[in-house]
Amino acid sequence: MAGLINAEKPSNIDDYKNVMVFLEARDGKIKKPGLEMISVGASMAHKVNEMLIGITFGESVGSMVKEAGEYGCDRVIGYESPDLKDFRTLPYATLLSDLILELKPNILLIPATRNGRDLASRIAVRSRTGVTADCTELDIDPNGRILQARRPTYGESTLAEILCKSHRPQMATARPGIFPVPERKKDAKYESEARKAKIKKEFMKKEIVDFKPKTTVDLTSAKYIVSGGLGLGKASGFKLIQELADEIGAYVGASRPTVDLGWIGKDHQVGQTGQSVRPKVYIACGISGKAQHLMGMKLSENIISINTDPDAEINSISDYIINADLYEVLPKLVEAIRKKKSEFEMQSSNKKAEEKPVKENIEEKKEKKPPQ
Amino acid sequence: MGLEIIVMIKQVPDSSEVVIDPVTFTLNRGAARNVINPADENAIEQALLIKDKNPGTNITVITMGPPFAETALLDCMSRGVDRAILVTDRAFAGADTYPTGLTLAATITKIGKFDIIYAGEESTDSSTGHVGPGVAEFLGIEQASYTSNSWAEDGYVFAERQLEDGVETIKMEPPCLITVLTNANMPREATLRKKIDAMKKGIETWTLANIDLQPDWVGLKGSPTVVKSMRTINEKKREGKKFNVDEMDKFVDELVEKGILTFGVD
Ligand SMILES: Cc1cc2nc3c(=O)[nH]c(=O)nc-3n(C[C@H](O)[C@H](O)[C@H](O)COP(=O)(O)OP(=O)(O)OC[C@H]3O[C@@H](n4cnc5c(N)ncnc54)[C@H](O)[C@@H]3O)c2cc1C
Ligand SMILES: Cc1cc2nc3c(=O)[nH]c(=O)nc-3n(C[C@H](O)[C@H](O)[C@H](O)COP(=O)(O)OP(=O)(O)OC[C@H]3O[C@@H](n4cnc5c(N)ncnc54)[C@H](O)[C@@H]3O)c2cc1C
Repeated sequence: MAGLINAEKPSNIDDYKNVMVFLEARDGKIKKPGLEMISVGASMAHKVNEMLIGITFGESVGSMVKEAGEYGCDRVIGYESPDLKDFRTLPYATLLSDLILELKPNILLIPATRNGRDLASRIAVRSRTGVTADCTELDIDPNGRILQARRPTYGESTLAEILCKSHRPQMATARPGIFPVPERKKDAKYESEARKAKIKKEFMKKEIVDFKPKTTVDLTSAKYIVSGGLGLGKASGFKLIQELADEIGAYVGASRPTVDLGWIGKDHQVGQTGQSVRPKVYIACGISGKAQHLMGMKLSENIISINTDPDAEINSISDYIINADLYEVLPKLVEAIRKKKSEFEMQSSNKKAEEKPVKENIEEKKEKKPPQ
Repeated sequence: MGLEIIVMIKQVPDSSEVVIDPVTFTLNRGAARNVINPADENAIEQALLIKDKNPGTNITVITMGPPFAETALLDCMSRGVDRAILVTDRAFAGADTYPTGLTLAATITKIGKFDIIYAGEESTDSSTGHVGPGVAEFLGIEQASYTSNSWAEDGYVFAERQLEDGVETIKMEPPCLITVLTNANMPREATLRKKIDAMKKGIETWTLANIDLQPDWVGLKGSPTVVKSMRTINEKKREGKKFNVDEMDKFVDELVEKGILTFGVD
């Protein structure tokens, strides 16, 4: 534990070398946000002729160590123990902090997932250093090997560059869905090491009494999103949204009031207090485009607005505008897409269907709370 | 059985009112009203829900901030919080998350006994979400972050964590720290009676001298990170091309031509 103590400047900053990345995993597989750390970590490490060191924890780590190496880590260290099967703050934070003392990395990257953020600030405090949160741009200045960490703040309106010049390691969490997953190479060369971890009993007191996997996939990595707003007028309007989504392999998004009314689950909410998304295509149906909604989707590559109000705020950030009743537009749009698709299918009959997201039964939506 | 609960709150500029100056690209926070960070309202409500179920519970709310943060604290008391402490000192200015956590942890240590510390999931202005777990680390206690619900039962604290891939239910021994999601609950309104009580009771004001930290451990001096620069994110220019409802075939043709819709080819 840290105790009430200040951040300390190490005297031997030049001893800190290499880029370390924490590869978050579940059930013996590195998760996508973890793999994304490898591409950005490797490019920084190699820019200054250093190594990328991947760290992974699990019940057994053999296959994950191989995965990490083949995806591009120069060195991989895996810690295994039945106690590391699930993410728990204290055992994970302790092992990683001890590794920092042992390996003295110049930079440590952690995915800015919920568990990643849970971990990162504890490690920063224990290592008496700084951490830049939720970065979307990361680079290294070869002069002094300083991490240039940039992060959106104030509702995605400003990009702040944050430095940690005189403390080590320089830590950052990186936003999922921003950095690419590197190519996997079966013939990659890497050093690897699996270590048995011994976890103190006192760190295992926090019990995970239940885990319910979610059937919905998170919107942050979605390529297509069709979103519904109050303009739908009723819960069943989301059926129409789902229909269009199914047609193009999209996920369903929503504005907050539709979630508050119980028309759709909270997992679908886009915006300041929902998810921040940046898909290739965002189709907003009956959404006015209030600031808190725009914050969560304005970085989308292409925005299409379907709205009866020609002056709806969302139109000012839209690439395409269909100024009409969504109940008229959506069936026609779905029909036009079906027609186009069948033309395509005739052209090349053996093309594979696109991966479709897990569907959720919208009508069965009810928030469940455990008994108090 | 009553519990001792501490809630940490931050006063933030109302996010719907913050504007970026189009000429200087600086943030015009002055124009914005100050409000309780939205997630902290949910943290307060969560604490009050526990108090409702566990008579004898005491809730103390703390904030590190400028003197005008008093308003936010009085607001919390008007909703049913028992005690409020404003920790304010020029020395705290410019703190990054490290000294912010340290200052709050030192304040909590001075307060003494506690079972649960509540914080918001993150602030709406700099939104790191790092202060809560940082405080837990300084104090050496367990934590549960990103929770939608939590309750006390048989001497344990339970919390439901909303993760990207599922919902996890945690069982911990107090003392522990819990961060609360925005929308975890519906924050209650202040009542007139409690408002009057709050004005009568008032808040306590502490400074650096009250919490036994050295001046160069806090604020800007105690911060390992610096904000080097800020720039507005250049927004893409959007054409806003219009199609009417009878032109859907034409519209889809254009989307396909431009590679916007691909039907599984990429
Ligand atoms: C602290 C805070 C946090 C918030 N966080 C979020 C958030 O995360 N996400 C979010 O979305 N909101 C958030 N909000 C709420 C936000 O301010 C807006 O109230 C909300 O985004 C509006 O939702 P809407 O566009 O669906 O509804 P409205 O603003 O009511 O818009 C409905 C739109 O539908 C159009 N319409 C009506 N009928 C039709 C029709 N038949 N066909 C086509 N168009 C039609 C109307 O012209 C209108 O533009 C937040 C608010 C606060 C205070
Ligand atoms: C543009 C910008 C970017 C920044 N980025 C970083 C960064 O990447 N890393 C970094 O270390 N610092 C950063 N900072 C500094 C950061 O704003 C301060 O450290 C701030 O005091 C706390 O951070 P937060 O608002 O992100 O809190 P969060 O961790 O998001 O807040 C979570 C919860 O902690 C509690 N809390 C937070 N602050 C207080 C308080 N003052 N009093 C009581 N409770 C509180 C509340 O319950 C709150 O809901 C940045 C500042 C700016 C202006």
